[in-house]
Amino acid sequence: MDEKMKNKVVCIFIGAMFLLGFLCCVMLSKPTIIESERRKAAMFPSLTWNSISNGSFMREFQMYTTDTFPFREQLRKIKTNSLFTLFRRSDYNGLYITDGFISKMDYPLHEQALWKAMERFRYIYEKYANENNSVYVSVIFEKNSVTAKTSGHLSIDEDVFEQIVKEKMDFANYISIRDLLDKEDFYQTDTHWRQENIVDVAERLAANMGADIQSSYTTHLLQRPFFGVYKGQIALDLPSESMYYLRNEIIDHCVVYDWQNDKTMDVYNMEKAKGNDPYEMFLSGNLPLITMKNNKADTDKKLILFRDSFGSSIAPLLIEGYAEITLVDIRLIHPDQVGRYISFEGSDLLFLYSSYVLNHSETLK
Amino acid sequence: MLFTSIPFLYYFFPIITLLYFLTPNQGKNIVLLMGSLIFYAWGEPRNVFVMMISIVPCYICALLMERNRGKKSECFFCAISIMISLAFLLYYKYMNFFMETIDRISGIGFSIPSIVLPIGISFYTFQMMSYTIDVKRGESAQKNILDLALYVVMFPQLIAGPIVRYHDLSAQITKRTHSFDLAALGIRRFIIGMSKKVLIADQLGELCAAFQTSNESSVLFYWLYALALMFQLYFDFSGYSDMAIGLGKIFGFSFPENFTHPLTSSSITDFWRRWHISLGTWFKDYVYIPLGGNRKGFKRQMLNIYIVWFLTGLWHGAAWNFIIWGLYFALLLILEKMWLFTIWKKHRMISHVVTFVLILISFLIFSAQSVDDLSMMVLGLFGIGTTSLLSPLALYNLKSFAIVLLIAAFGSGTWSQNILALLQKSNTGKTMLRYGEPIVLAGLLIMVSAYLVDGSFSPFLYFRF
Repeated sequence: MDEKMKNKVVCIFIGAMFLLGFLCCVMLSKPTIIESERRKAAMFPSLTWNSISNGSFMREFQMYTTDTFPFREQLRKIKTNSLFTLFRRSDYNGLYITDGFISKMDYPLHEQALWKAMERFRYIYEKYANENNSVYVSVIFEKNSVTAKTSGHLSIDEDVFEQIVKEKMDFANYISIRDLLDKEDFYQTDTHWRQENIVDVAERLAANMGADIQSSYTTHLLQRPFFGVYKGQIALDLPSESMYYLRNEIIDHCVVYDWQNDKTMDVYNMEKAKGNDPYEMFLSGNLPLITMKNNKADTDKKLILFRDSFGSSIAPLLIEGYAEITLVDIRLIHPDQVGRYISFEGSDLLFLYSSYVLNHSETLK
Repeated sequence: MLFTSIPFLYYFFPIITLLYFLTPNQGKNIVLLMGSLIFYAWGEPRNVFVMMISIVPCYICALLMERNRGKKSECFFCAISIMISLAFLLYYKYMNFFMETIDRISGIGFSIPSIVLPIGISFYTFQMMSYTIDVKRGESAQKNILDLALYVVMFPQLIAGPIVRYHDLSAQITKRTHSFDLAALGIRRFIIGMSKKVLIADQLGELCAAFQTSNESSVLFYWLYALALMFQLYFDFSGYSDMAIGLGKIFGFSFPENFTHPLTSSSITDFWRRWHISLGTWFKDYVYIPLGGNRKGFKRQMLNIYIVWFLTGLWHGAAWNFIIWGLYFALLLILEKMWLFTIWKKHRMISHVVTFVLILISFLIFSAQSVDDLSMMVLGLFGIGTTSLLSPLALYNLKSFAIVLLIAAFGSGTWSQNILALLQKSNTGKTMLRYGEPIVLAGLLIMVSAYLVDGSFSPFLYFRF
């Protein structure tokens, strides 16, 4: 092949790639949902004089073409692979894989954010609690805290973090669960912990709060492959995981009341288990205020659990020790409104949050 | 519209290229002009009218200048045209800055209007002024306003250069050739430029962002940031120029080179012969030489250098750090002319290292958000105001970006060219290159598309000028 022929090949070959790309963009059907990222794809923007003159059409068209580009998932895989193998980058948007576990770096410690979270908790304590309430706090240090130690990635200083929590929440008893969590206690492709592996965590929390749980469960496999939220974000081929959930007679007879939608439901929502995020099967996922009633309780102890999504899977393991557990997510409901629905009289209070939520507490109301 | 965006690559570019080559020769300029207006309006739907309106007085004045050749009125029309062009630039780019400065000095406290800067106004204004001055210097005025408009708004170089002088482009607007050889060269240049921007500059931008959002201030992190920033600016801007030059070749135009390995310069004088060459040439031809250049004694030359570099700084942005940046280079250029050159000649290695550090510092000044920020950045390099020599985040980022930084260092030097030249010398090397080129280009295009599909909005840094 001489120089002239090569130039013709370049023009025809690369020109064809652009043309083919254009034809695919125009002719192939467009997805409405991006399953890997668990979100809706951008839609073709409305074409009006207004949308053109203010530039919104162009901005939205850019998002539309990016979201609906042919072979988008395969191209995202190429990107991630090239970042990790060609450029030897240590992470991709904070995500990295070590021993088959995807973790998200959370660094540095944002003291202001942590203080803000502590202030919100103090506000709740001062507004609702009195000497009749026992108050506890615990922090779930996420998978990164474990994996970063061996992989060379960065993680927040857990000692400093715990120290700040203890100092700022001097009205609460701190329960440390750090030593109970290893990377195997979390899903490989998701941020959350595995319910079947946190029985010891539930036991420690219960023991420290004076609740009695026997921890006798049967383990059930969710009959569908599970891919966590990180899998879609990192866009790499990784094997699916198995998701398990724990049952016993107490959990089975438990009734859950959803205050927002004024309806009762089961502890495990099997409809949600079929959805985009099967983890939402635990207490139906993101709900601002729910109450679990233990119909088989031999105690009148009550617990108000201020929590994030980690709380959904551990609360069923704690219910045995209580007549009632109310879960409050102050990312979804303002603390001032909580008192309109539930009474704090005589209840224990547990603030159980992941380190990530506390370190990025702008989501707390 | 961004070159490095899906709408450009897979909608605009294939459509405009097809239309262009399917249109007979006499209609090609119209296709390019229409395409260029759509290209500009895509990002600046309102300001496209500002740009179009500003062309009209430029066109009329040039015709009047030609009609009044040799008369005093020729100078008058020339001055009018330049003043109108500058008036647009002053209003849109500098009004806020001037008012803020006056307000700060006087303490009056008047309300400052919010004026949106039209993208690329500095570039197209300088092209219009180039046209006016070239006509004044004897170039024929363009009779066809559409051809003049095409010179000003041609989409490959409209918003970030290179600044093409009318003298260099006038003949190509009326007559140019197209060939597979030129187009292949253009495609190669375009894809390489795009890769420089998307695969290198944007990744280094992540490192810069990590520094800017961090509160760890170690010496290592300052140096890492300074290096990343310098390479980011170089690969971003030279990548854009490569894309512009490449697109120009596809459509039969030959734009001037804008960068020739500036980070390997042996002096600041050398650097400015290699960095943003079209801007340097513009100021030399239209400001420095008309002011007298070096023909009126050393003191006058020094003054001329200060004027040119004050304007160069101001051209880059309406902020004090840009003015300081320009004056910093003026000072260095004068020092070189006074005595540094004699040292550089004796110590070549030292000259390269010192020049590299001076360039590094210049980009810190260039990107500083305020005068305080500027001094903090520069002092941080030398450990003043820092908390430690190393920090966890700096070490982590050094490891994470080591390969990108190495590729950037390799790519900014002349090694890659030397290797290609070496391969060209042997038959096996030539064959490898010929068969390898289409494959490498296709691979790069797929990779860039992958990064764009997954990426967020990342405009070129030079768009704000």
